[in-house]
Amino acid sequence: MSAISKMVTEVKTIKEYWTKEVRRQKVLEPNVPKVGEMAVNFTLTDSSGEHTVTLSDFQGKKPVALIFGSFT
Amino acid sequence: MSLTNLYKKYHEKVQFLVIYIREAHPVDGWWLGFRLTRKLVDKYYPKAATDVNDPKTIEERRAVAGRCETTLQYGIRTYVDEMDDHVNKAYSAQPTRLFLIGKGGRVVYYGGPGPYGFSPTKLGEAIDTYLENETNV
Repeated sequence: MSAISKMVTEVKTIKEYWTKEVRRQKVLEPNVPKVGEMAVNFTLTDSSGEHTVTLSDFQGKKPVALIFGSFT
Repeated sequence: MSLTNLYKKYHEKVQFLVIYIREAHPVDGWWLGFRLTRKLVDKYYPKAATDVNDPKTIEERRAVAGRCETTLQYGIRTYVDEMDDHVNKAYSAQPTRLFLIGKGGRVVYYGGPGPYGFSPTKLGEAIDTYLENETNV
């Protein structure tokens, strides 16, 4: 496969992904907790497996900034 | 404003929690491509990984989260969503998203989905507004 056809295949893959991702986000967007709603409580462990956090532990003490993401 | 600077500015007044969720673009999943994509990712997101498989166990997920924490160096402890993705689902968080939760446990700010809706600057503005109003109350 030539370099140009490889690039064309990649562009098509990116376009296909983008279309699906936009569709997925449109479906999920109404489910995002909105301003004024109670935040869903959770308890999670850190990457070392040694420390645990519970969101509701900060209630009445501090506001909490939640940063969701991954590595890719 | 970067997340690192946001954390430095507000960490005494706001609790920051980084939550590692399901990989957005693992090489064995929805990886976008190879040469062209890697060049774009390297240019615009130089710290993002382009060689991560989708973790199949919580141990694998923790290992990738640890690598992510070390590489991105936000200075914020990273917590890891369980394999059932229940926190990710509850917040519709994938691929990336920011929230501010008030002291009373209610959502004060929610950002758009990343990468384009991911704005530490807007989160900073929301924190400023929240802290100003809190002081006034």
